Amino acid sequence: MSNILSSILTTSFAASIIRIMVPILFAALAASITEKAGVVNIGLEGTMSLCALIAVTCAWKSGSTFVGVLGAIVLGILLSLMIGFFAFKFKTDIILCGIAVNTLGEGGAVLLLYLLTGSKGDTQTVMGAWSLPRVTIPVLSKIPVIGEIFFTNQSVLTYVAFLCVILVWILLYKTPLGIRIRAVGENDHAADSVGVGVYKIKYTSLILCGILCGMAGAYMSMSYMTMFSKGMIAGRGFIALAAQAMGRGEPVGVMLSSLLFGFAQALANYVKGTNLPARLVEALPYVVTILGITIYAISTYKRTRKIRAKQEKKAQKKAA
Amino acid sequence: MKSKSLRLFGYVRGAAALLVAFLVALVLIFLSTDEPLVALRYMLLGPAASWSKICRVLAYMIPITFTGLGTCIMFSANQFNLAGEGCISAGGFAGALVAIYCPMPTVLHQIVCILAGALIGGLIMLIPGFLKTKWGVSEMVVSLMLNYIILDVTMQFLTQNFADRSQGATMTFPYKSTAIIPKIFQGEQVSYGIFIAVAMAVLCWFFLYRTRWGYAIRMVGINKEFSQYSGIKVGAIIILCQVVGGILAGMGGVVTQLGYFSQYRWTALTGYGWDGITLAILAANNPIFIPVAAFFVAYLQYGCELMNTWTTVPVEMMDLISVVIFLFFAADQFLSGFRQKLVVRETQKELAEKAAQQARKGGEAHV
Repeated sequence: MSNILSSILTTSFAASIIRIMVPILFAALAASITEKAGVVNIGLEGTMSLCALIAVTCAWKSGSTFVGVLGAIVLGILLSLMIGFFAFKFKTDIILCGIAVNTLGEGGAVLLLYLLTGSKGDTQTVMGAWSLPRVTIPVLSKIPVIGEIFFTNQSVLTYVAFLCVILVWILLYKTPLGIRIRAVGENDHAADSVGVGVYKIKYTSLILCGILCGMAGAYMSMSYMTMFSKGMIAGRGFIALAAQAMGRGEPVGVMLSSLLFGFAQALANYVKGTNLPARLVEALPYVVTILGITIYAISTYKRTRKIRAKQEKKAQKKAA
Repeated sequence: MKSKSLRLFGYVRGAAALLVAFLVALVLIFLSTDEPLVALRYMLLGPAASWSKICRVLAYMIPITFTGLGTCIMFSANQFNLAGEGCISAGGFAGALVAIYCPMPTVLHQIVCILAGALIGGLIMLIPGFLKTKWGVSEMVVSLMLNYIILDVTMQFLTQNFADRSQGATMTFPYKSTAIIPKIFQGEQVSYGIFIAVAMAVLCWFFLYRTRWGYAIRMVGINKEFSQYSGIKVGAIIILCQVVGGILAGMGGVVTQLGYFSQYRWTALTGYGWDGITLAILAANNPIFIPVAAFFVAYLQYGCELMNTWTTVPVEMMDLISVVIFLFFAADQFLSGFRQKLVVRETQKELAEKAAQQARKGGEAHV
């Protein structure tokens, strides 16, 4: 046990948590924005998968990883808009739209991979390895421990992800668009009655979601790995949904819950090399997810009950 | 009169959705092979080419019929529980263990195995059902997580405790011969499990449309608040429908294992749960249509596999067909302009008839 503890309390382990949590953080932030607008987008998993493939492909065609990220963002937006189009225009249940995009991400990505490379496994042999630049921030990296974990040799997108936490918070709470997004999510009829274009806001939230998902995908194929391979997203889109639920859709809360999942996953990765039951430990992030959203749901449940009890008491007093 | 033409419209819209699916498939086939006509022939006619191929389609129907039925019942109550995928593995594994380690006379053995699978499936689904009812936890997120947990837990037990180490691949010891569900025809893949599957479809239809509980499930799906107001115990119904869904998926796992395999060897999630969702959409949540939809999907799936084997078109084509079905088949407003025209024309005709009748009556009165 002390053996495990000593190897967990290292900076390299902490850095691996950061590496694992970044795609989850991106996707969970994406889910937070749509959730605040009252749009349930469960297609994150598939969007990430297709974006990861497109990122590498665009990088390969253009020779620039920046174009790769851009391509992934454009595709992310398109896929999110597709969900919106079918859900709002054709009135398909939005959960089914999400499942459709996930199926597309699983089968469609393999199909596209095959059309592009002639292989159904990964892009490595045809497209080579692509990695976004890794950056060490000059002054900050000199801070002991923290500098080594956060500011040394991390992918550009890692910094973007943490920047996005702040940006999303500003967007939601300090801009007119943020107020509209929250109003639509809270009560779209009320928002409609004061002249907010409900569908325009919902589409906007989906576009923002697509941008973040695109970056999540690009991170997966050009930082987490240096290629696209079949099944590489491995449930991260779903975990992100849970992170969103656990963080109550608040950017900082979402960041903390992503950190928790990153920790559970990193622990599972580490334990694989020991004699502990590896598969059970691998289930840990998912168990933590269920526990997390349950604890959150219980706290909400108790709070609403308390408020209701108070109101009833007041009403009784008035009646007396 | 109006409802009749609207029902007709429903069929037309379904056919149009399938047409779109085929068009998408067609475009992709043309993109990915030099001999599209050969590929198309394999996809559309391949599965019917011989008796043993038809039997394979029937065999593939079995697991997806069960998950489809489970999904029907859960979706009827508007519970988007997606853990059928995991429950079919968990149930199959439980049934497999009973089939290997508990010697029993035949027939009884199969029944006990299936009951064990059903029990495990039902118990697993208690988790999302209970959490949803008690505290309002999203059953969807919980069920998605459960799929991965189930896979990890079964794999842990399989590799650590129950693996047959003499085999090259990860698998259990073979099932006792008393537990095997026999094949209908010598040497063909379809087992008597197909009859169990179809019987369950009828049973589920009866449950959903002819019993008090089924009525309550459908009411909760249509309007939860109203059901609550009219005295239905909504919480209990939400748990009930998910447990029934789990029982069906668990049973399906066992029937597939004992009828198709000779030892447990699922080392990844099967995808049958997601097929079940496709079926529920195709059947519009009516269990009686599930076997038909299952045949359709199984036929196409096998067609795509054949196409994959004999030409350069990847088997993932089937996923794209599913995507289009997901998007268009359940689309309420797809072709809504056409429906509007239909209703208008129908109404105008009725009005004209009424006017003509009145005119006639008026004429008679004058005479």
